[in-house]
Amino acid sequence: MKCQSCGKREATVMYKENINGAKQEIYLCENCANKMGFMDFSSIFSPMFVSIPEFMEMERKPICKNCGYTLDDYAKTGLFGCEKCYETFEDTLDELFLKLHGKNRHIKLGEKPKVKAKSTLTKNESKTQEIEELKEKIQELIAEEKYEEAAVIRDKIKKIEGK
Amino acid sequence: MWFKEISKDSDVVISSRIRFARSIKGYNFPHILTTEKKKEIISLLEDKLKGTDYKVLKMSDIDDLTKLSLIEKHIISKEFLNESMGAIITNEDNSIVTMVNEEDHLRMQAFEAGFNVDKCYKKLQEFENSIESKIEFSKNDKYGYITACPTNVGSGMRVSVLLHLPALAKVGLLNKLLDQAASIGVSVRGLYGENTSGVGHLYQISNQKTLGMSDKDIISGIKAIITSIIEQERKAREILKKDNIKFEDDVYRAYGILKNARIISEEEAVKLLLTLRLGITMDIIQDVKLEAVTSLLVDIRSYTLKTILKEDIEGREENIKRAEYIRKEI
Ligand SMILES: [Zn+2]
Ligand SMILES: [Zn+2]
Repeated sequence: MKCQSCGKREATVMYKENINGAKQEIYLCENCANKMGFMDFSSIFSPMFVSIPEFMEMERKPICKNCGYTLDDYAKTGLFGCEKCYETFEDTLDELFLKLHGKNRHIKLGEKPKVKAKSTLTKNESKTQEIEELKEKIQELIAEEKYEEAAVIRDKIKKIEGK
Repeated sequence: MWFKEISKDSDVVISSRIRFARSIKGYNFPHILTTEKKKEIISLLEDKLKGTDYKVLKMSDIDDLTKLSLIEKHIISKEFLNESMGAIITNEDNSIVTMVNEEDHLRMQAFEAGFNVDKCYKKLQEFENSIESKIEFSKNDKYGYITACPTNVGSGMRVSVLLHLPALAKVGLLNKLLDQAASIGVSVRGLYGENTSGVGHLYQISNQKTLGMSDKDIISGIKAIITSIIEQERKAREILKKDNIKFEDDVYRAYGILKNARIISEEEAVKLLLTLRLGITMDIIQDVKLEAVTSLLVDIRSYTLKTILKEDIEGREENIKRAEYIRKEI
């Protein structure tokens, strides 16, 4: 039997859902089942029929004002429609995330280091960055009273700016 | 090319990769995004990356053979093949490759040969920072980085290591070990072929959870597990090596066939090359370089071979050319 979600791969997972008392069985491939967060990976080794996750029973009413997505859409694709969906469906996400990740809040995202990779800079950007670095170096040298070396670097900056 | 190099722990680890899933603020996720908007994202990236070492290539401008070869190298996903509004951002040696308009707007990936997770992370973070300084990503304090699929939300990071574990399999310890890994929230996937044992015992091991953990913790967790698996695989190889004539025989037969065959399928070649690879790492075979075998494991794949030979060959013809190519290389 083909997967009822993607219709492409062979279905190896069945789950039962209960919508308003009407029971329904859905057959999915591992891929789609995974996307919907149904399987733990150990079952990949011995594909077996897994049972219903409760979060499928969640309130189906809210609609994302930005992209028009509903939880039914989510259940079908395993994906949300846009970043606003995360606000729209906030109430049901706590439970879902606990299932998927064992947690439902992320840690504080760290500050990004300022230094950028040279390879991703445009010519002007790398010029600016190089000059900034050299200027910092001058400050250090002056603090150490190494004026001659500082002068050499000042000339270097002039040369780069002049090009 | 990174995938042909020999690096840290290359006897057991084929390659390491890290992937960041990122969404660009203000756009619906790709699976419901209009063609126009997808184009807009590609143009935006082209604009921001102009004059850098990175190239933006539209999927529609890449020929099919090259695309299929990229799938064989696991650089792009199978699903991405049919995304006509997709693009890839790549550096010279394909060690940092981003899929644009795949499941997420950006799927940034860094690859390294051997067990080099930290290096992947450093390179990918640099790349990410430079993009994030020009384009705003969707993220918030509650959920971290926002992704199309809730299984990736938080760090949006997947750390994967490709391992060759034939000895653990031969001594009968593999399934138990992999079950254990799976039970502590690590995903294990067999490579090549549909069934999980795959051909030649190649396994991809990666973190499953992405929310509520720092990148650092995810990485150190997966590194600890991999390190332990590497140790156990090496122990198992020692056991195999101890007066096991049957095992040595397997290695020499693999070598013999690869060196002399006139017609060979992709599957057989992969299987034998992996056996030969094992024999080299265990010092049974000394006159073939590990680099040569590692390269061949990529080059003899069906589509990659065609891109190398620049010939559209198939079936019997392909198998003859493959045998020829292998004889030339080892
Ligand atoms: Zn499916
Ligand atoms: Zn939405």
